[in-house]
Amino acid sequence: MAQKRIAIYGKGGIGKSSTASNVAAACADEGYKVMIIGCDPKSDSSITLLGGKRIQTILDLLRQKIDVKEEDIVHEGYKGVQCVEVGGPEPGIGCAGRGIIVAIQKLRKVCKSIDDMDLIIYDVPGDIVCGGFVAPIRKGLVNEAYILTSGEYMPLYAANNICKGLSKINTPLSGIICNSRSVTREEDIVKKFSEEIGSKLMAFIPKEQIVQDCERDGFSVLEKAPDSSVASVYRELAHTIMSNGSSVMPSSLEDERLRELTR
Amino acid sequence: MAENDISIIHPRPSSIVAALYTLRDLNVDVAILHGPPGCSFKHARLLEEDGIHVVTTALDENGFVFGGRDELSSLLCKVNEMFDPKLIGVVGTCASMIIGEELREPVQDANLEVPVIEVEVHAGYPNNTKGVLIALESAFEAGVIDEEELGRQKVLLTEATNVEKRHGAASKEYLVPSRGDLKYKVAGKLIDCLKEGKKCLTIMNAKKETGYMFADITVAINEVAKELGVDENIINMANVDENLGLPRVRNHATNIMNDFKEKGVPIHEIIGGMDEYPITGEKVSKLIADKYSDFELVVITGVPHAIPMDNLKEMEVISVTNGPRQVFPLKDMGHDHVVVEIDLHPKTLGVSHIVESEFGATMRELAKDRLNDSQEES
Repeated sequence: MAQKRIAIYGKGGIGKSSTASNVAAACADEGYKVMIIGCDPKSDSSITLLGGKRIQTILDLLRQKIDVKEEDIVHEGYKGVQCVEVGGPEPGIGCAGRGIIVAIQKLRKVCKSIDDMDLIIYDVPGDIVCGGFVAPIRKGLVNEAYILTSGEYMPLYAANNICKGLSKINTPLSGIICNSRSVTREEDIVKKFSEEIGSKLMAFIPKEQIVQDCERDGFSVLEKAPDSSVASVYRELAHTIMSNGSSVMPSSLEDERLRELTR
Repeated sequence: MAENDISIIHPRPSSIVAALYTLRDLNVDVAILHGPPGCSFKHARLLEEDGIHVVTTALDENGFVFGGRDELSSLLCKVNEMFDPKLIGVVGTCASMIIGEELREPVQDANLEVPVIEVEVHAGYPNNTKGVLIALESAFEAGVIDEEELGRQKVLLTEATNVEKRHGAASKEYLVPSRGDLKYKVAGKLIDCLKEGKKCLTIMNAKKETGYMFADITVAINEVAKELGVDENIINMANVDENLGLPRVRNHATNIMNDFKEKGVPIHEIIGGMDEYPITGEKVSKLIADKYSDFELVVITGVPHAIPMDNLKEMEVISVTNGPRQVFPLKDMGHDHVVVEIDLHPKTLGVSHIVESEFGATMRELAKDRLNDSQEES
């Protein structure tokens, strides 16, 4: 099968890392070779796949001017998921965007195993505030983008902006994922939004305490609570992503229409 | 281990500029700097003297904030109309690279028939040879050079970096610039030695176009020796192989060789191509050991610090450099006299013949004076 290289976008705090790591775990359960690349300076994308442990980031090593080798930056997590964290400078110092560019270049250079993967998930920061934050896409590393949102106005507003950005950088959208915040008519709203921008709703992840509980312990739902109902939602989403073949260049909505949708 | 063991605090050659010069050697007609208007100004102007057009997207504060994709693609279209180029280069700068500008996209937007070499480079590399390397790799991707030439250049670049680290501008944390020894005195010394019948070796080990001026020193020594009737005592070595290097560099070798011939200066040993200055050292050393170990005087020009001292210890060493920061490292190596040709490089751009050097001119004048004096005495 062709390698899938996906990025999950969405408003900060909406649950991108949780979704990414649970999807990664679900795909690993299915026997796929999976890599997750955390592109956020917070470096928390892979933490629930590593039993709560933090790994050395690419930029940690580059800062020490160490000659970076593959084994230094690629760490094996749950069921063989390959975990990489880009890392970044301290908040408020230097340039995180440039950091992503440099780290991604280094990763491409030293990481040979990346070619063997069935699925690579780039967990990107919520706000694409500068050129560096789209480096994985611009460098041709990502071939599918997903947007995560809830049915609330602000996350949808962010999702709508991301659609504008994606068409600007010529990247097709493969689907919308709803991470529920339990607001009224949520599934309807997000479904409608997805259709109006020309895409589709891929999954509705209900808001469940168990996701948070597992995260607090440093695990994915798939590892810690495999029999929970939300685990099967992730499993289904993983299946949908792996078999998804369609993507579109999204359009975007006028702000007025967006407000109407959520009213 | 860190790439650089020492942290160098004197200003160094820029990788952006190195990329520009490499594009010139690849015979691009236009190079576009994607960045602020003042970036690499001085060298951009010099390169225009050398026959290529260097223009800039002139990113301003707005450009830094909003990016310059449109500016670059429209400039590509503009230069295509203005200059009708056969080959274009686009070069990154610190500002555009930090904000994550892509060069590929605007090149695609412009959609020109002309091939474009995209060089994503900034000046933040400790060795400026990195700029050359990135430019060459992009040229290879664009099909402008073949794999063999790329491989050859990579070896040269690694060695060039090593040469600078050993005895060059990257050998110390801080190097004080110096004007070197007085040309008048060193020229006098050199003439005295020739008069005394000492055997003299000239080694021109020049970097590309700088050879147009360093060659003049070889010529001057031969002229003076002839006047003194001791031209038999001179052996000339030069890195002027006409069959090695990028097209423009080969052309320099041909031009200089033609001038040598015309001026009746025999080159007894061709020690490599004009881009091979970092790897000629071993060859020169061996030649000296095999054939010229009885020579008493050696004049090394161009990149003198690339020639090992092993077989020069018994000789009086005069070296001529164009780097004011090279004076002290050369003295440390054991060179007896170090002469600096200030501002050599600008004078060797846009020329196709040997140009007069200050040291060569000093030597000629001094020899003339002394010859006149001795004639008056007799």
